[in-house]
Amino acid sequence: MTVQRLRCDLAFVRALAAVNLRATLALRGAFWLALVGMMLNNLLYFAMWWIFFDRFEEVRGWRFEDMCVLYGVVGSGYGLAVALTGGVRELARRIVDGDLDPYLTQPKNALIHAVGSKGFASGWGDVASGTLLIGVSGVVGPFELPLVALAIALSASVFLATGIVIQSMAFWLGRIETLARTIWEFLITFSLYPPTIFAGALRVVLFTLVPAGFIGFLPSSLVRDFSWLSLLAAAAGLLAYALLATVVFRAGLRRYESGNRFGIRA
Amino acid sequence: MTATATEHRPGLPGGKYLAIAHIAARQAVEDRAAMVGRVLFQGLILLIFSRLWTVVIADGSLGSHSMRELLWYLAITEWVVLSPPLIHLEIEEDFRSGDVAYRLPRPVSYLGSRIAEGFGTMAVRGSALAVSGFVWASLLSGGLPPDPRGLVLVLPLGILAASLAVVCIAGVGLTALWLQDASPAYWIWQKANFLLGGLMIPLEFYPAWLASIAGKLPFAAMVHGPGHMAFGFAPDRALATAGALLAWGAVITLAVAATSRAGLRRLDVNGG
Repeated sequence: MTVQRLRCDLAFVRALAAVNLRATLALRGAFWLALVGMMLNNLLYFAMWWIFFDRFEEVRGWRFEDMCVLYGVVGSGYGLAVALTGGVRELARRIVDGDLDPYLTQPKNALIHAVGSKGFASGWGDVASGTLLIGVSGVVGPFELPLVALAIALSASVFLATGIVIQSMAFWLGRIETLARTIWEFLITFSLYPPTIFAGALRVVLFTLVPAGFIGFLPSSLVRDFSWLSLLAAAAGLLAYALLATVVFRAGLRRYESGNRFGIRA
Repeated sequence: MTATATEHRPGLPGGKYLAIAHIAARQAVEDRAAMVGRVLFQGLILLIFSRLWTVVIADGSLGSHSMRELLWYLAITEWVVLSPPLIHLEIEEDFRSGDVAYRLPRPVSYLGSRIAEGFGTMAVRGSALAVSGFVWASLLSGGLPPDPRGLVLVLPLGILAASLAVVCIAGVGLTALWLQDASPAYWIWQKANFLLGGLMIPLEFYPAWLASIAGKLPFAAMVHGPGHMAFGFAPDRALATAGALLAWGAVITLAVAATSRAGLRRLDVNGG
């Protein structure tokens, strides 16, 4: 029964992703503008690290090519998450406004439906610039491509799970859109710096409370220097955060109050 | 929301815009959650860079600057870039929703009123971030910069720089008239400001050719100019930066005003 349900959910995820992609591509001009704009945005920002490593060469063994991979994996992971499951960014608002009704009344997984109901074209710009950076890092050959895809998928999934946990706090705390966005920005910020500069308690926080380690450091280490132990740790981290996201959302749904609004969802 | 234009003697030149700026400032004061978020974000960035510069210093490769100077430099540049509000989003929304049609008949310039709102919000944000930046930088670097007299010059330079940024962001918002979505233009402007202004790394650390290009653009005066005051008391340099900011301010304001006129003419022809 569980396997059948999982299969059903996976088919639903595929269908939502396809619809999202078609909807994003429907506005062709806006799509390309967002894609190119976001690519330039990311590459201009990353140029600061090129300047940094041109001057200082390495930070505790962390070199320019390592930064390329880290930025590439985190950027692509974030991009994939907002391109295919952009609804997560609006989850807190939907909860507070009572806008989850359309998802709860349908015979599909409400959480998957809510997060997969929207996609942002700019996410594809993140994916494009991320894969470009991984390509120019020089540490990836054709045989590592499946590892790159795996690392990006892991990063995107932890981004999504953490986003769900943060946004679901709205069930208990009310209107927290700004706070949720800020915490998510913190998460991205922490994930984009060389892990070698963090030590002690801060490092523990980065792998627990703030899962920057599971979004950036571990997935990018799979590409740079694969080990089964890293893969196991990354998979365990993803499982833990995915479970936490499901539990928190379900617990929150018990407190959900409908918006009692009539509307049509096409 | 009780402030009205009459409280600010609209008979004076610019009185109406002062009233608009005042109302925006009062709204910004109420938005406490966003303010707390910005202050924490500022602290987070300074924390990360304090770790980064500590590691770089431990490797013995920082050159003539101390970690304390570099952290104060970042505190100042972050203050300048975090203070201006994102008014391009409001301008874009005005065009997208058609609300601009209700704003145009008012006896104030549309763009002028949006920029005045930006200045009002910036005054509140800038004040809060100046205090928090001072506290974060003092705590994380272990005290004031080696020559703290330079901080006195930061205040006027930072206000000038952030004001110029507000005008630039308004100009970015106007691109929505042609592109519908102003965000991609904003992203590029913001990151060019970060990169060519020397937000995180002072321009002295840049390759010579890039530092030379950056020096010829307004970004260096806006970001690196105030930030450089962390390295010591340099009134001549501060005066040169203020001159550059005023000159760039005049050029950019004229360009944004011309763009606004052209854009609103286009709006008249095509409809709102």
